[in-house]
Amino acid sequence: MDAGILTQQTINALTIGAMYALIALGYTMVYGIIELINFAHGDVFMVGSFATLWLLATFGVEGTINDPARLVIVLIAMFAFAMVTMGLVGVVIERFAYRPLRRAPRLAPLITAIGVSFILQNLIQATYSTADFNIPQVIDPQAGVSFTMPTFNVGGFAVTSSAVTASWVHLFIVVLAVAMMVALQLFVRRTRLGRAMRSTAIDREAAQLMGVDINTTIALTFFIGSALAGAAGVAWALNYGHTKFDIGFQAGLKSFTAAVLGGIGNTTGAAIGGFLIAFVEVFSSQLGYARWSEAIVFSILILVLVFKPTGIMGQQLAERA
Amino acid sequence: MKPKPLAIVALVALVASACSSSAATAGPKVVTLGVDLPLSGAETPNGQPTLDGVQLAVDENPVAGYTVKVVAKDDALNGKHDPQTGATNVGQLITDSSVFAVVGPFNSNVAQAEIPKSNDAGLIQCSPANTNPGLTKGAAGLALRGSHPDKIAYVRVATTDDIQGQAGADIAYNVAGAKTAYIVDDTETYGKGLADQFETTFTKLGGTVVGHDGVGASGQADYTALLTAAKAKNPAFVYFGGVTATGGGLLRKQMVQAGMGSIPFGGGDGISDGSAATASSFLNVAGADGDANTYMTVAAVHDIPDAAKFAASYKAKYGSEPGAYSASGYACAQIFLQALAAKGSDREAVRAYVTNTSSTFTTVLGNITFDANGDTSQHVISDYKFDPTTKDWKYFEQKDFTSGVTTTAAP
Repeated sequence: MDAGILTQQTINALTIGAMYALIALGYTMVYGIIELINFAHGDVFMVGSFATLWLLATFGVEGTINDPARLVIVLIAMFAFAMVTMGLVGVVIERFAYRPLRRAPRLAPLITAIGVSFILQNLIQATYSTADFNIPQVIDPQAGVSFTMPTFNVGGFAVTSSAVTASWVHLFIVVLAVAMMVALQLFVRRTRLGRAMRSTAIDREAAQLMGVDINTTIALTFFIGSALAGAAGVAWALNYGHTKFDIGFQAGLKSFTAAVLGGIGNTTGAAIGGFLIAFVEVFSSQLGYARWSEAIVFSILILVLVFKPTGIMGQQLAERA
Repeated sequence: MKPKPLAIVALVALVASACSSSAATAGPKVVTLGVDLPLSGAETPNGQPTLDGVQLAVDENPVAGYTVKVVAKDDALNGKHDPQTGATNVGQLITDSSVFAVVGPFNSNVAQAEIPKSNDAGLIQCSPANTNPGLTKGAAGLALRGSHPDKIAYVRVATTDDIQGQAGADIAYNVAGAKTAYIVDDTETYGKGLADQFETTFTKLGGTVVGHDGVGASGQADYTALLTAAKAKNPAFVYFGGVTATGGGLLRKQMVQAGMGSIPFGGGDGISDGSAATASSFLNVAGADGDANTYMTVAAVHDIPDAAKFAASYKAKYGSEPGAYSASGYACAQIFLQALAAKGSDREAVRAYVTNTSSTFTTVLGNITFDANGDTSQHVISDYKFDPTTKDWKYFEQKDFTSGVTTTAAP
């Protein structure tokens, strides 16, 4: 057994999982509050990666930045820009595409969401193109720490270790994503606005009677969810240095699976689901079944929907019968 | 109310006479050469230079008595070659009665969807680039031409992947000197077929295949897990069966990030799509570090009989060097133009003439005849390696698998 490979694959899975989890949070928050599967959410993530591309191109950033102070400034600018613009995009989508349909049958906003997804993809096709775009990787993707895991041999059971490389960009993405998830939990549980979100999710009318501004609260939910998707877009850009108009589809589908697996409507569940899906994907590749990894992931989605529709954590926000 | 039969006959006669008289007075008959290639998005670098080759052939080889118009259809959907779109395009070309032949498609899975349609209609297709053996050979080829198994309506000037895969294995084993290889395919018709042939030949040459896995053709972007698994097996060569749009470029880029950039990388003509400056090309997506040590094969003759003349006239018209399949597109068009000159624009006459195993065509690639399956008599693969100075593919040798002769590029 090679402990080095297992550790390396765990780092890979945590990185991918962090991105899935960030996107899954947006799905689950929106579902929690207005019971809508926002199929345009994966495309918000995609537009976030293009926002990063635009920002770096506009400010003439062309490659790896070695000066730490400058790197920090550029990273803050990337996240601030992508998160704020995508948050606003989310608010605009909610205001014009979903709010007018809030009392319509549930199928109507669902189909609208698919329409919005196409609009976002076509906007990128029209402004950029259908080509592949290389995004400058401001953090050197090859730099990191190398180490080996402890090795031992007990009664013929030998554990060896090949070299493990934890690249800075992977560590950065994982730490940042976890920090954002913790911040979100604190916000939802500890602040007035968070309480407004939770009460709106439980019973919209009653919350309104208690003086909660429903429209603002829902808009806020879209802002936060879309901002997290924007952050995932930046993480994607840092990690892969590449984007294309259609990356939102596959990433969105996997993140949606993660949200369902964790229990749609449940923010902790979305985070756990994101990491679980990534681990399934990575370790099926490790076992030599990369060509089956998507089939395995979506089989899990079907199994969860059939046997435990409420997911691992169950629904936490929407508690109405 | 039923129209009177006599009235219809009269009407048909009138229309027919009107047509023939107008044709007589208007001079040459206008016929259409259909083209179906991926012409938008990530695959523009494949399709456009090929289409330019077709147009150049039509411009340079006038056929007395005919005006040949080129009508190009795009089989890319959302920037990626799409079998269903290709089939629809061929359907449209079939209904256009002025179309006497079709050049295309570029991708093997698109051909899979198109061959049954063109076979059914008896409209001849010539692919400049399809390389999957199953399109023409054996039971698979027979199944595709279900309507008229005996009337082949699909020929190609590119040789097949059973030969291209051999050439890839030959590069890995003999040129790069690798004794072990890891293979990745994109699970599509073309990519899987090519990768499987590479595996067979590489093993036969004495090499060891340490792993063979596939990546999802649609939208997958993360190959780190697959590469970590591959790295542990210490391959001396990584071979990719697939095209840039299904992950070739990103796979190579992530190899560099995973510390595998020094391992030579090879692929088939699916990653032959222009220099590093071309948007969406393999060399562009893989990045400067990924390009080093990459090899690529093209199922086309590089040392064409009059290469300099072809390149000069192509450059004069389009302002750039010909693409890997420009000459092949030109050759397909030449074959149809020669059939048009010999047999007229009747679809069946053109089809029968082109697929006749005793017809020989003089093309820019050299003399070509088609065998009983519609495959070319030329079994030549050209080998390329990335050149850091020009940031483009550089031809270094071509192998004729019929004669076994290897021609090395002049230094």
